[in-house]
Amino acid sequence: MNNLLKMKKNSLSFKIISRILLACIALGLIIFSLYYYFTRSTIEEATRKDAISLAENSINKIEEIIKPAELIPTNLAWIIETGSIQKDSILSFLTKLVKNNPAIYASAIAFEPYSFSAGQKFYAPYAFRNGPRIETTILGSDEYNYFIMDWYQIPATLKQPYWSEPYYDEGGAGALLSTYSVPFYMNKNGQRVLGGIITIDISLTWLTEIVNSVKIFETGYAFLISRNGVFVTYPDSSFIMNESVFSLAKEQNMPELREIGRSMIKGESNLTSVNDPEKGKVWIYYARLPSTKWSLGVVYPHNEMYASLRKLNMLILLLSLAGLGVLVFFTIGIIKRLLSPLTKFSKSARVIAEGNFNAELPRIKSNDEMKELHDSFEFMQKELADYITNLKETTSAKEKIESELRIAKEIQMGMIPHIFPPFPTLKEIDLFASLESAKEVGGDLYDFFLVDKNHLCFAIGDVSGKGIPASLFMAVTRTLLRSVADNKKSTAEIVGSISKTLALNNESNMFVTFFLGILNIRTGELKYCNAGHNPPVLIKNKRDAEYFKITKAIPIGLFEDFTYTEESMVVEFNDQIFLYTDGLTEAEDANNNLFGNDRLLAVLHKNAEANPKLLIDETKKEVSRHVNGFAQSDDLTMMSIIYYGGKPEK
Amino acid sequence: MRMKRNKTSLSIFDKITKDHILMGTLYQKKDKIILIIFLFMISFCVFAQNEKLTFSPQWLPQAQFAGYYVAMDQGFYKDEGLDVTIIHPSASASAFDYLKKGKADVISSFLMDGIKQRAKGVPLVNIGQLSQHSALMMVTKKSSGISQLKDLNHKRLGIWNSGFDDIPIAMMRENNYQIELVRVLNTINLFLMDGVDALTVMYYNEYDQIINSGVNEDELNKFFFSGYGFDIPEDGWYCLESTYSEKKEALQKFIKATLKGWEYAAQHKDYTIHLVVSEMNKAHVACNKAHQSWMLDRMLDLIEPGNKNVEKGHLLEQDYYRAVNILKSRILSDYKDSDLLLENFYRPLAN
Repeated sequence: MNNLLKMKKNSLSFKIISRILLACIALGLIIFSLYYYFTRSTIEEATRKDAISLAENSINKIEEIIKPAELIPTNLAWIIETGSIQKDSILSFLTKLVKNNPAIYASAIAFEPYSFSAGQKFYAPYAFRNGPRIETTILGSDEYNYFIMDWYQIPATLKQPYWSEPYYDEGGAGALLSTYSVPFYMNKNGQRVLGGIITIDISLTWLTEIVNSVKIFETGYAFLISRNGVFVTYPDSSFIMNESVFSLAKEQNMPELREIGRSMIKGESNLTSVNDPEKGKVWIYYARLPSTKWSLGVVYPHNEMYASLRKLNMLILLLSLAGLGVLVFFTIGIIKRLLSPLTKFSKSARVIAEGNFNAELPRIKSNDEMKELHDSFEFMQKELADYITNLKETTSAKEKIESELRIAKEIQMGMIPHIFPPFPTLKEIDLFASLESAKEVGGDLYDFFLVDKNHLCFAIGDVSGKGIPASLFMAVTRTLLRSVADNKKSTAEIVGSISKTLALNNESNMFVTFFLGILNIRTGELKYCNAGHNPPVLIKNKRDAEYFKITKAIPIGLFEDFTYTEESMVVEFNDQIFLYTDGLTEAEDANNNLFGNDRLLAVLHKNAEANPKLLIDETKKEVSRHVNGFAQSDDLTMMSIIYYGGKPEK
Repeated sequence: MRMKRNKTSLSIFDKITKDHILMGTLYQKKDKIILIIFLFMISFCVFAQNEKLTFSPQWLPQAQFAGYYVAMDQGFYKDEGLDVTIIHPSASASAFDYLKKGKADVISSFLMDGIKQRAKGVPLVNIGQLSQHSALMMVTKKSSGISQLKDLNHKRLGIWNSGFDDIPIAMMRENNYQIELVRVLNTINLFLMDGVDALTVMYYNEYDQIINSGVNEDELNKFFFSGYGFDIPEDGWYCLESTYSEKKEALQKFIKATLKGWEYAAQHKDYTIHLVVSEMNKAHVACNKAHQSWMLDRMLDLIEPGNKNVEKGHLLEQDYYRAVNILKSRILSDYKDSDLLLENFYRPLAN
């Protein structure tokens, strides 16, 4: 138990053991309740039968003595009626009768008034024991008027045999007696008339012994009550002839006892219970003595009925507690032994988590779930080690690629001009450009250079796809542009030439949307060719912004022989050309809303008076506001050229 | 067949001895002899001073006489300077026998019996009346169908052989009923076994015996004679005229102490019942507390004058003449009128 207390309340062992314990107790209680219930019923039933048989046996024993005794006066009545006994031999006859029947204490033949002889009102010869001797006397006088005594009057009145209420004879017998009286008849003038009463007095000492010998449990007992409910026998001898079951009921305020008493004197038999103020609930079985019409009761306290059961219960309880203790002891041992690897596994897992994949695992000898756990751990260790090795390699490869990409970007960015202002000596133009790749290296490109001292060539393009391939394709395009462009070729020829070169061996079918323009910085004449690129915006005189109205044509690099067309316009003082890739107009916010052409135009309109750098910065801010932190999905490239040439003379 | 032997006597000497023993424990051993001599002298003085008086109730010990036992046990007689001895009558000798033979100075008896004795020429006088009412009644089982007095006509009525039959006979004659009187000794068994249709009983005694034999009250019909104009008082005190003259003062004290005993009994019922039961046990008379409690309560009811204009312990003139008339007209013959004048019969000694 100490072990159980020492366990942490949330530990697995505690949980398992406490649940097992609870289950065991619950199961034990159920089994015990069933056992208790059935045992109780069995005991109740057995006790009931026992009490009934005790009562019936006692009654039978009593009847065995009383029945033959009853026959004596009954037969005597018949003998007298036949006139077989001479009047002068009655006393000697009675003496012999008493002498020969030890059960009989005394006997009398009491005659009706004047029926023995005409002049004699009282005549009752009486033989009785006095120690070993049998003595005789003649009863009846004005003082001893037997005609009004129960033993004579009741059988004479009712014309039936009668067992008197028991009485204590202090004079001769010094014992409890009862008189059995039987009427006898005589022939008088041819008529059968009552001749008198024959009696036998019976000592009830033997009866008391029979009833007192009944014992049930500790304090169970039997008692006998007379026809009037008076106690004839009772464990407390002071009750005998003093108390009746009814006076007792009144004294102890037990109305139910009175009802039992009434049932008893009516000659009923029953098993019932009553609440005794001292003993609590007691059971009582009662039945009538058929001869005397008295009633025998067998009483046993309810609690005592279960005394043996209680002892057994105590034993079972102690055994159960001991068993439970042993169970807990062994369960704790077993569970601790079984679960102890778990603690070690937990430690190992920590060590592994710290990076030591070779951490020692607990040794499992059994072939159970713990073994499976061990194997899984071992497998995990191995897999983790492999994975980490793999990861290391992958990471170093990735780092290498990333560093290469970084270098590629630097190279790419090195390819495009990024010194602004590019032509500080040229007053006619101001130019600014910006390229922000979505990935390390992007597919957008812009370029500008002077073809000769009067012509500025500028281009913007967007390679299909992204990443290294796009940047390589962009580098090729840009290199081609630099090598092809000169002051003799039209923009369409340049674009066509680049397209043709790119289209050759373009097995991956990459292409570039491309816008190429050549501005005569002296005249403001702008010749341009668009190959599927977004139309640039022209901001006229720092006021109105509008898209170029241009033929879209197909991107370069797709077909070798496509003929592009050149278009031209004239830009004037303060006109600004704004070029961009679709990374601007298709910039998305979190809800996939595009920045859009209209918004671009609005931004440009708003900043119509700004120089190229400011314009591009403002546009970038607007885009940032639009995407609102959402990851840039495409390269964002802008280029803006403002023309200060062709200035009108002041 | 029962041979009754009932003899008991109580002496004030028991009480005194007890007190001596109690006192004795207070003294040291060395003083013992002197003390005993001293106490003996005191005892002697007490005996010498106390006037001896023997009293006999009309029956065996029971709660009917509780007041006398209490007065004795509580020392009320001794306090009055009396040395009272109680003797109970037996089957062979009644209280009147004791009185006539001089064995008892004063006895308790029913008024009717007292008048009858005087009419027969016994020179006795009533010196006080304890009971003021009649407890005499008849019971029938409801199952017998007798629910009214007239239903008793031509039925069998059990009645004591020993007496107390004047009132039932007077009632029968007044109503002109033909009732067969069946004499019984003193048990209720013939009635319980339906050997008679009705039984004459005392409310405080046999009635409760019937109840204590398992018959419920609601199974019985009750006919109280008091309800039919026969509320004749019962227990009273009687002595011979000569005793009255000689021991008037002592008798006066006896009545005073006895009434005090009854008052004490009314206030200490448990104690009283305990005392009665021990008296009955001494006399080997069957008894139980339930019945004796009932009897005590009923006796206390009877002592109360109730609606009668009479003091406790006194005899009401109307009651007396009602009793005399019942006896004169129906039962008595050959008596001297002067003997039955109230002033000759009744010599009140109660305060």
